[in-house]
Amino acid sequence: MSLPEQAPGVRPRPFWSLRPKSDRDAGDAVTSNFLLHWFPAKVSKASMSWTYSFWLGTITAALFLLLTLSGLPLLFLYVPSVERAYQSVKDIEYAITFGRWIRAVHRVAAHGMVITVVLHLARVFFTGAYKNGIARNQKREWNWVIGVAMLLLTLFLSFTGYLLPWDQLAFWAVTVGTNIASAIPWIGPDVRELLIGGRAIEQATLIRFYVLHIFFLPAAVGVLFAYHMWRVRKDGGLARADRDELSETPRSVAVVPTKTYTLLGVARGTAPTVTARSLEAADTSVNAVPDLMRRAMIATLGTIAVISILAVFIASPLEEPANALITPNPAKAPWYFLWLQEIVTDTTIHLGSFTINGAFIGGVVLPGLLIGLLTVWPWLDRSPREATGVWFPRARRTQNIVFIAIVIGILILTYIGMELRGPYWEFFWPWETWPSVPGRI
Amino acid sequence: MEQRTNSPYPRIDRPMLAIIGVLLILSCALFFASDRAHDWRYYQATFRDQVAQKFGADRAAGVLTGVQQIWVADLGRADRCTTCHQATSWKGFEQADEPFRTHPVEPLKTHPVEKFGCTSCHGGQGWAVDVAEAHGEVAHWEEPLLSKTLGQEYSLSGNKGALLQMNCNICHRYDRETRGADAINLAKRLVDEKGCRACHTINNRGGRIGPDLTRVGEKAPEQYDYSRLSGQQTAFAWHVAHFKNPKALTTDSTMPNFGFNTEQAQALAMLVLSWRPADVPAAYLAGAPRTDTPTVEQLAEEERMRTGPGAWFVETGCSTCHSIQVYGVKSPAQIGPDLSNAVEDVQSRFGRTIDDFLREPTGTMSVVLSRQIILTPEQKAIAIQKLREAFAVYQKQQAEKQKER
Repeated sequence: MSLPEQAPGVRPRPFWSLRPKSDRDAGDAVTSNFLLHWFPAKVSKASMSWTYSFWLGTITAALFLLLTLSGLPLLFLYVPSVERAYQSVKDIEYAITFGRWIRAVHRVAAHGMVITVVLHLARVFFTGAYKNGIARNQKREWNWVIGVAMLLLTLFLSFTGYLLPWDQLAFWAVTVGTNIASAIPWIGPDVRELLIGGRAIEQATLIRFYVLHIFFLPAAVGVLFAYHMWRVRKDGGLARADRDELSETPRSVAVVPTKTYTLLGVARGTAPTVTARSLEAADTSVNAVPDLMRRAMIATLGTIAVISILAVFIASPLEEPANALITPNPAKAPWYFLWLQEIVTDTTIHLGSFTINGAFIGGVVLPGLLIGLLTVWPWLDRSPREATGVWFPRARRTQNIVFIAIVIGILILTYIGMELRGPYWEFFWPWETWPSVPGRI
Repeated sequence: MEQRTNSPYPRIDRPMLAIIGVLLILSCALFFASDRAHDWRYYQATFRDQVAQKFGADRAAGVLTGVQQIWVADLGRADRCTTCHQATSWKGFEQADEPFRTHPVEPLKTHPVEKFGCTSCHGGQGWAVDVAEAHGEVAHWEEPLLSKTLGQEYSLSGNKGALLQMNCNICHRYDRETRGADAINLAKRLVDEKGCRACHTINNRGGRIGPDLTRVGEKAPEQYDYSRLSGQQTAFAWHVAHFKNPKALTTDSTMPNFGFNTEQAQALAMLVLSWRPADVPAAYLAGAPRTDTPTVEQLAEEERMRTGPGAWFVETGCSTCHSIQVYGVKSPAQIGPDLSNAVEDVQSRFGRTIDDFLREPTGTMSVVLSRQIILTPEQKAIAIQKLREAFAVYQKQQAEKQKER
């Protein structure tokens, strides 16, 4: 079989969908390909490492993709009305082909995304990756701020999704969550009213949360995500690459006898000898396609495979239909807000008949302070440039320890809230059994 | 092929990608399998075999396959029970084991399945298509199948399938007698005989001493106090124990112990749990009056007492609990002692005069006189006067009896 005419030096493989006939064709293919523009042409070997970034950002993006994909069929099946929502979820669970699995994928991926976003943030903090290197116009600190915004959006996305099944779990988790919001001084009750579209959690709340959940919040995440990725490229890739640049002196690199990308497309011949830092050197970098592409696929498809398998085995809960008259015992916020609920309890002080409500401290002051600090931290972090793109550098030891301490504190409070708080929010040790929940008959 | 870069990655990453490919295929297999793994597939195959054995392959070919559903728009019910219980409308499986038994024809004549579905009578979770979920024997489903098994769990005395009657009474609550609902009928008789309405409002008629029971059946199980109840912690178990001995569960209760036996207590518990708002269109309740009026005999009896010498006691409401035998006033409930000799009876019970007792009543009477029969000091004086008059008649009668002897 004779292959059609092609660009000189291009040896097509049987599975290639594109057979460029000229260098111009090949160049056009590069400039018109979305994925080739997502990635730089070359990527440093250091930033390819599995154990530097753990690819948490990619995994988070994969989860977001999976949430979008699994959300689409749910859009056709779920009815956002207080009369029908619960029923429609029951139908998704029992009657729709693959319905239970799709819902489980959506739920597991949603919880997974909250976890990976937080882990990604922690990774960036521990490696000081919000710090700029030596290249011009780097604005990594702003990408960190966008990241914090996306963390909040992710939590809000998850929280709005929580209400949609309109069961007791949903109703009361949102009740607890929005009550915490109402503890903001002066404007708290108005904030709550704005959130839930009235004074009680009703149809107005459901449609509000629904529209936020399926359109505005994902759109906002999508826009910020695009900007987040664009900034990563503008800032010269991962901070890890900057570190290599910092630690090496420029050296002359041999002539590269291969294609080179110019403004006019692909030019054949040799690139001129350049003085390069390690980022461009052939021995310290690889082509983004296929090496980076392949790893991104491993992370993305791996995430999809793991979530899809987990979804077969993890059933999504659906409690009794929402009932404003019956408070489930205990009523708990979604798990990622349980540390706040725990702080609210612990800072609520009873002095005789006098009660100081902890919602203001636990629900407003503390999380507000933490989020505020987190946002401005890149400007407060005065550690040297050398402490960028490396895990636990000596120069950032104190701040890393404080960060770990806060994270451990939050984890402990979350664990207490999840596992050790029984009926009436009473404390039970793990070896103590909770009183049984009574049934009707 | 020219070597573009010296990349170490393909050697490890390609096999890794291959493993992930395998994982993806595995996940597809898993979710396909999990979606197909439903109990109903087994039951449908078994039923088809049974039909083939009994009636031949031709009729077996007509057995429906796939999820079956009875959609009752009026009741908002989608009952998928017939997905497994395929024999319900087949003749010839009357003696078969469930889920392959023919449904008794009699109740279906008045309650066609297209109009009522399955779960409005039987309970359970109509949406679900797997055994445990459909029978409602799972967490977060408050309406379990009201089956014989559940009756056995509660050691129902008599008919083990009687729990089902609770659902009959959601629509039939105003009937004095419902055919086939023996336990509920027994309970309704007890309500009349024991005069529950002396203290409780039921169907918007009755006293104010105890809580209004008109909608007690919708009270959430969490809202009962189980601290003094041993064994099962359910609303039903609570009511059974409470009917047997009210004070054992609620120490400050003024409700008397009627000495109900187990069957009576269970029947009453079923009755009160059935008292919840019927979420059914008016057409389903056609013909039934939306209240339960007293019978003609009851009304005649009341009229007689109201015009007799004991009229004051009837009008004031004393006769709901107390008989006044000397005037021929007979209380339907007879919860309290006869008032004919209250003057000496109060003295012997409480060591106080009747005047003193009525001014500062204790026990049940303090509740009654503060909530239901509220008397001004003038009315109290009249009451004392009336009680003395009754006692005079009583003494006269006693003296006559003495003479006769």
